Amino acid sequence: MEFSEHIKTANVEDVVLQQPLHPPSKGTLCITSHHLLFSDREEDSGRQVLLLLRNIDAVEKSSVENLVNYFGLFPNAGRSDRATESSGTLVIKCKDLRVLQLEIPGMEQCLNIAQSIETLSCLACVAEMYPFFYRPSNASLRDQWGLSTPERHYTEMEALHERWRLSTVNQDYSVCPSYPPAVIVPKAIGDDALKMAAKFRQGGRFPVLCYYHRKNGMVILRSSQPLTGANRKRCIQDELLLQAAIEGSDKGYIIDTRSAQQAQQARMMGGGFESKSCYSSWKRLHRHMERGKTLQESLIKLVEACGDKSPNMDRWLSKLENSKWLSHVQTALSTAGLLAECVERDGRSVLVHGSEGTGSTLLISTLAQLIMDPSCRTLEGFLTLLEREFVQECPVFLLLLDCVWQLWYQFPLALGFSEALLLRLATEAYSSDYGTFLCNSDMERCALQVKGKTHCLFRVLLKPREREQYTNPLYEPNELAIWPSVHPQSLQLWRGFFLRWTQQTLHLELVQEDIRNMVIEWGKLALS
Amino acid sequence: MASPVSVYNSNVLDAHISSTSRESLKMELLADVTLLPGEERIIDKDIIYICPFSGAVKGKVLITNYRLYFKSSDADVAVTLDVPLGTISRVEKMGGVSSRGENSYGLDITCKDMRNLRFALKQEGHSRRDIFELLFKHAFPISHGLPLFAYVTQEKYEENGWSVYRPVEELRRQNYELCDTYPAVLAVPFKCKEEDLRRVASFRSRGRIPVLSWIHRENRAAIARCSQPLVGMSGKRNKDDERYLDLIRDANDTAKLTIYDARPNVNAVANKATGGGYEGDEYHNAELVFLDIHNIHVMRESLKKLKDIVYPNVEESHWLSSLESTHWLEHIKLVLSGAIQVADKVSSGNSVVVHCSDGWDRTAQLTSLAMLMLDSHYRTLKGLQVLIEKEWISFGHKFTSRIGHGDKNHADQDRSPIFVQFMDCVWQMSKQFPTAFEFNERLLLTILEHLYSCRFGTFLYNCESAREQNALRQKTVSLWSLVNSKTDVYLNPFYTPESGRVLYPVASMRHLELWVTYYIRWNPRIRQQQSPVEQRYLELLALRDEYIKKLEELRLSDSSRLADDSPGADTSSPSPASSPTRQRHYTHLHTPF
Repeated sequence: MEFSEHIKTANVEDVVLQQPLHPPSKGTLCITSHHLLFSDREEDSGRQVLLLLRNIDAVEKSSVENLVNYFGLFPNAGRSDRATESSGTLVIKCKDLRVLQLEIPGMEQCLNIAQSIETLSCLACVAEMYPFFYRPSNASLRDQWGLSTPERHYTEMEALHERWRLSTVNQDYSVCPSYPPAVIVPKAIGDDALKMAAKFRQGGRFPVLCYYHRKNGMVILRSSQPLTGANRKRCIQDELLLQAAIEGSDKGYIIDTRSAQQAQQARMMGGGFESKSCYSSWKRLHRHMERGKTLQESLIKLVEACGDKSPNMDRWLSKLENSKWLSHVQTALSTAGLLAECVERDGRSVLVHGSEGTGSTLLISTLAQLIMDPSCRTLEGFLTLLEREFVQECPVFLLLLDCVWQLWYQFPLALGFSEALLLRLATEAYSSDYGTFLCNSDMERCALQVKGKTHCLFRVLLKPREREQYTNPLYEPNELAIWPSVHPQSLQLWRGFFLRWTQQTLHLELVQEDIRNMVIEWGKLALS
Repeated sequence: MASPVSVYNSNVLDAHISSTSRESLKMELLADVTLLPGEERIIDKDIIYICPFSGAVKGKVLITNYRLYFKSSDADVAVTLDVPLGTISRVEKMGGVSSRGENSYGLDITCKDMRNLRFALKQEGHSRRDIFELLFKHAFPISHGLPLFAYVTQEKYEENGWSVYRPVEELRRQNYELCDTYPAVLAVPFKCKEEDLRRVASFRSRGRIPVLSWIHRENRAAIARCSQPLVGMSGKRNKDDERYLDLIRDANDTAKLTIYDARPNVNAVANKATGGGYEGDEYHNAELVFLDIHNIHVMRESLKKLKDIVYPNVEESHWLSSLESTHWLEHIKLVLSGAIQVADKVSSGNSVVVHCSDGWDRTAQLTSLAMLMLDSHYRTLKGLQVLIEKEWISFGHKFTSRIGHGDKNHADQDRSPIFVQFMDCVWQMSKQFPTAFEFNERLLLTILEHLYSCRFGTFLYNCESAREQNALRQKTVSLWSLVNSKTDVYLNPFYTPESGRVLYPVASMRHLELWVTYYIRWNPRIRQQQSPVEQRYLELLALRDEYIKKLEELRLSDSSRLADDSPGADTSSPSPASSPTRQRHYTHLHTPF
């Protein structure tokens, strides 16, 4: 497909751009296959705005439509004159919560631009997305992609080798399309049994190890729901697999991220849960976590409340509460806390799943690792954790970052990275120059050769210059678990993200940067 | 070392005391209390503390003439309470001899600092009689003809906090040639005959005439503060008052004087009925702006509502809307935005007059916050002390009435957390400008602790004349003695002085936060572990000092190499003290106020 088909008007002069934190400016607007580019006309300011079209969530063309109506009513009222004199206004709402306004002279041009943005911003074909075209001069496609591999993860944890093995049963993605080619499973369970267990789990996501707790040898496993269905099917291999995972211990926990009632209902649809009778060594704990649509709606409400420009901000706190976003944060952190408590305090291994095992499951397994494992709290460790667990669903990923921010806020010394990193990730997840957040699974990434044809964000973030930007100046490595307080009084709105385009937030971002530079400079000279 | 303790569940209070048997623990239970010089034991007793977080805890209580101290005897539940008696607002008996149920007989203590304490005693033998009476007597010494502890303590400090604020020096710091270029406010009273001034005073509530709080270094715009004019129902006028305000305007030649009336418009109108009111059209060249800040009673009730949703249990299910319904943050917003308006007006070159009804509550909040925004000096450790001494203490914020030091009348309608609210606003500003303040949160918390404790003389009495009569400065220790003798714990390592900068905080609900570390600090499940962060800050301070030292060494070695020819090389050192002639001006300029 040719992108140019979608670009009827590529350049418009005398466009007025209004964006947050800047005075309006006049200049040239260009639409390319992946970008919207605005260049300020003032020579000395030389301001440019380069926006990935992918970042655009919605385009509203209020004034243009009014004009169209007007011409519809008065077809002979000097149409051509007005069309050239009139200008249309586009309000562009971005996924990073920025709102831009473009005043474009000429109604037709305005409509063309809107049309191009609408089409190009939501191209469905992954291979046509910008990361496949992004070729920075200082990087080569032969550079290493990704931070770790299941193999390396396994090799690094020697204590694990006695009872766990690396299985390549999924080498060709045929057992579970959404798993990587290699997974860590109990040594006692052979690949054939894994294949059987995979058939008993939704989407083939059979229980695999995701975390080994060095302090006491307990593990976290994750999977999708068992397909017990209405007539309570069993799978002996699945049962053996789980039994093998807690060998030598009398009990393990299953944290089901659905309510008991939801889990019951899932049986009607062919899903289900691990029954007491078949999994007698496992104790199930149900913690209802909202997902998908509910989460998305909550996010929309919150963003609306944050964008409310009315001066009195009437009942702001009620609006914040009604969005329920912070209660999702609370649930996620407390469920992750429960998971960590089972492992660290109770000394038990835990299996986590919901339905598909790709949303809330990954969310809480990631958070629990941050809570318990100091090696996940460095910049490198955190990115590796993200790469390994890979939360893909968008509102869930944002929720994850928000929860990590709450940890950072409550434990200013415990994390090796800064709020700036979380903001960067929140932006890149929605639209990016890099291939890191493309696709939903290793299989898809492999098919599209993402690792050969795009650049890796995580690698870039670890380059010396970038790394310095994202470190936490107060960081002190700490072996202990960091237990977050999950009372609503302890949770804060992540202003850095949700009120990002306000003067105050910008100011605080700069101050954080100053503090970081200050501490680095003190360290350099004082310790020289 | 950083050691985050669990706040995720209730195990926070766990503290395992190994190698100490319970028996020996019981005997030594109160042995580790370090009493202050001058502090005396009054009574100790076996008691049960009904802890809202850990349940009933057995232990021993010690009452001294300064504090109530409790320590649990059960090693599994390590609970310690150390409450200055000044913090207590009410002591009541709970239950009777015939009350049923466990732990239903004892004492119920309401504190001024967002918590209540309940103790249970054995039901037989009137076991609480002596402790109740002694506690009642020593918690409310004023009601029993006893001195406040500040008059009893024998504490000694290296620094003398009473010398922190010297009005004349503070004026000199502002470096204004007051008698030459700012004659209106300060010189006119001299030229004015005594009776002129008296006539102005007679027209202002409680004689609180407009006086200078602050003057802008460059544009000479001034902040003056006073009480409401006594306009009354009949709309009285006072030519002297009108002329006086016009002289303030004229001080820097601006066209219009802005009068900020802190009250809501309706309240100002209502005040006419009781003889008060506000400036009308007869004040030419002046505009009046109402700032909609409510009175002390509204603030008291608002904070009471806040206490209800955070102590003993925190509201869980509808926290944000409950918080909204206390209106506390909204009041904070109004106070801050009022101060922003004042600061903005002054910064753009216009003089202002600020008043409310009596000019000692909302007015103090507004002028001091505006000064904090305008003048970076007040953002230093010493500067904040000066600001409090000047705008709050010397100008007569009625601390005794608002706090009720040593007074048993807990329901006194004069009590109100106006100063707490001011501290909250300072905290909000420090959150919004993390590098602009030399002091840290610990200072604000310490100030608020001793607002109630009565250990220092700083917040005692309603006005200067009462302080003089009671020889406060001779007989008590200043809180600033404590603070200035060991400053590093109160310092912000990231402080970056910016002398000319006006700080405008954002007074929008979206950017304001509840001060959880103050209002909910008693709840161990909410409270964040401050100590590792404070420890880290101290390390960073040390690092910063080391850095500055090294920088200084480098600079010296450079300048000794480069600037051997210029003898007075050190041009950056502050200019020497002002000449004696100037000093003389200031000395007598100050007297009429």
